[in-house]
Amino acid sequence: MEVRVSFAPLTELMSTLTTDQAPEMSMEANSEMLGTAHANGRNSETRKTISSEPRPSDLLSREDCLEMFRQLYLARYFDVRLIKEKKRGRLRGTLYSSHNQEAVLVGSLFGLKSSDWISPIHRDMPAFFLKDLRGKWGEAERSGMSIQEVCAQVWGKVGSPGRARDNWSHIGSKAKHIIHSTSMLAGTIPVAAGVVYADRSRGGDAVCLTFNGEGSTAQGIFHEAINFAAVHKLPVVTIVENNQWAYGTPVSQGSPVTDIADRARGFGIPGYIADGQDVFDVYDKVANAVAHARAGNGPSIVECKTFRAYGHGDHDDDRANRYRDQEEILMGRLRDPIAVCRKLLVDRGFLTGDAATAYVAEGKSATDATNDDFPPEVVDFLNQGIEFAIASPLPDAAEAGQWVFKEAE
Amino acid sequence: MAIAEPLVSAATATGPVAKNYLTALKEAISEEMGANPEMISMGEDIGLLGGAFGVTDGLLDKYGRERVIDMPISEGAIVGAAVGMALNGKTVMAEMQFIDFISCGFDQIVNMMATYHYRTAGEVNIPVVVRGPAGAYGGGALYHSQMNEAWFCNSPGLRVVCPSTPYDAKGLLKQCLRDGNPTIFFELKELYRKNEIAEILPEEDYTVPLGKAAIRQSGTDITLVSYGQNVYHCLAAAEELTKLGLSAEVIDIRSLVPLDEETIFKSLAKTNRIIVVNEAPMTCGFAGEIISRVTTKAFDLLDAPPVRITRLDTPVPWVKPLELFVLPSVEKIVKAALATVKY
Ligand SMILES: Cc1ncc(C[n+]2csc(CCOP(=O)(O)OP(=O)(O)O)c2C)c(N)n1
Ligand SMILES: [Mg+2]
Repeated sequence: MEVRVSFAPLTELMSTLTTDQAPEMSMEANSEMLGTAHANGRNSETRKTISSEPRPSDLLSREDCLEMFRQLYLARYFDVRLIKEKKRGRLRGTLYSSHNQEAVLVGSLFGLKSSDWISPIHRDMPAFFLKDLRGKWGEAERSGMSIQEVCAQVWGKVGSPGRARDNWSHIGSKAKHIIHSTSMLAGTIPVAAGVVYADRSRGGDAVCLTFNGEGSTAQGIFHEAINFAAVHKLPVVTIVENNQWAYGTPVSQGSPVTDIADRARGFGIPGYIADGQDVFDVYDKVANAVAHARAGNGPSIVECKTFRAYGHGDHDDDRANRYRDQEEILMGRLRDPIAVCRKLLVDRGFLTGDAATAYVAEGKSATDATNDDFPPEVVDFLNQGIEFAIASPLPDAAEAGQWVFKEAE
Repeated sequence: MAIAEPLVSAATATGPVAKNYLTALKEAISEEMGANPEMISMGEDIGLLGGAFGVTDGLLDKYGRERVIDMPISEGAIVGAAVGMALNGKTVMAEMQFIDFISCGFDQIVNMMATYHYRTAGEVNIPVVVRGPAGAYGGGALYHSQMNEAWFCNSPGLRVVCPSTPYDAKGLLKQCLRDGNPTIFFELKELYRKNEIAEILPEEDYTVPLGKAAIRQSGTDITLVSYGQNVYHCLAAAEELTKLGLSAEVIDIRSLVPLDEETIFKSLAKTNRIIVVNEAPMTCGFAGEIISRVTTKAFDLLDAPPVRITRLDTPVPWVKPLELFVLPSVEKIVKAALATVKY
């Protein structure tokens, strides 16, 4: 196939292609048995034929499905808006875009209980405010992190949960059950194991979802931590966002197996593969993994097949267009999670009439997308966060010397 | 950060081109790989991407995938495999994408690599240079700002090197790749593309010896000892002090292990006052080591207590006012110098 395009014609392509016609990525093993678990197919066709049992997502109400759809917009808008703000020079640090990977975040977080824990990493910024957002956008006291806190962190202001001591995704909240990551990849998995071990010792049933790129599965600590969790049957679900690239290194140079979920075999735990572009497939696989964990059966790996839309970070956008070829980028971005979700909702009769074609954000790169491409409540939600962040002051310089140790009270 | 005068004046439009610190490193690696067919380079994203900062840009095209390895994100495997290659006759440049991530390969460095020569009674030597971008002042926050050189100075068997100029970056890296001992090579990422310090490099092959400090400015009233980007803070402070009628000598030690004590003691014999500046935390940092050598070996030369200007004993915070609060600065050095002279 001779394809030479930049991102712009994607919009056109999206409108002519239905999701079922979209070409396969390298996901032949989707419907294979993996470990003790099965992995459903990734497009709606295989979803329908592979099993007669209802999937967890079949039981979701219309309201929940539409909420997930809105959350996809929210995650996308957050990214689009930050890219614009960064380009205008209003933000410092590196922006790791989650564009095209939103279904992984929304699908895995949607079914969690407030008491569950998560550990997002660099590409998962929206996870901080998506946790426990379900139907509670306006509630200040919901258990997730507020959009105000998340924006204050991105803007490097004192209103950040970590008072802007560390950058971007390096925040968390003990109160809100979000583990605070460092830069060291896969470093939160052992911490996740410790968190749920402690919870279990007190009779809790919390599960911890850790997020990791496929590249970070090469770290020794990834294997050490899952091994420990498997020995003790700890409820840790390791989400692997396989976006095919780790910075400038393709997955083939980082992992000898194409399906990271295969790693699960060595720990005797289930490995699931989800279509990372399909929010309901991610929801299903994670729901299975969470149920397995909550029932006391131990950890699992959920690999979500997806594709990194831009450069590794915003500093890498230009280079990434050279080290990845245009055809690969086009293919990887063809099945926009918003479009995939829209089609499934139309098929289920949950989106009808004008609503079915409203707000076409899919297929638009951050520079092309405008506020009009998003539902107004999505834009308003983020605006509240940004206004708060801008108004929040910088931390006082002398704070830098504080909190090295806990002082005696 | 205040910038000192270039150490060598930049080229004119017609003359040879002044090269920055990053280009100097790039040339060192490429030339050594050209000269030594047994040399291998390995690291995360060093091939296809050409390195996160571009230090290995073009290397893959030149030397091929057998010799330029895009490694999985496994610092332990990078260092350990480098040791194995060295055990079997190779010379290896192993890149840490940021020196902060060296902690993920720590065991292989301090236990496997550092001790190899010792525990084999000299049978085996390990020509491996582990190098990477280090240092703060760029808003990199806790995990993209570290200067963790002290960990390695405290692990016998490792060379620890930190150049501050393009000339030294190239000459020292070449020397380390030929030295035959394992080396941890700290590069200052804030200097990588700093045009003010670009300089014309010799056309011909050259090295800079280890254990030989450079006097960046001579003076008679006080000795400022440093390495890495803090050398420029010292030079800027020296300029301030000149305006106040004080003459400071600025010494750039360039290599920490081995350390050139002689140059420091000689300077002290003139000035009798010393301030050591480094951006790593104070406790058990290298500034403390230098001062300890001074007080134990050159006590009689001191007219005032030696002073350390280091990072506070904190991590490096992200936001600018906080970052600057904890780090050494020109102002802090000038203030300390004035107090020391008045002592
Ligand atoms: C231990 C460690 N080594 C190196 C890095 C530098 N680094 C940051 S992100 C990254 C690539 C990560 O790729 P992947 O895990 O696939 O996640 P993605 O960025 O694709 O989401 C690298 C090498 C790091 N953060 N930690
Ligand atoms: Mg990846």
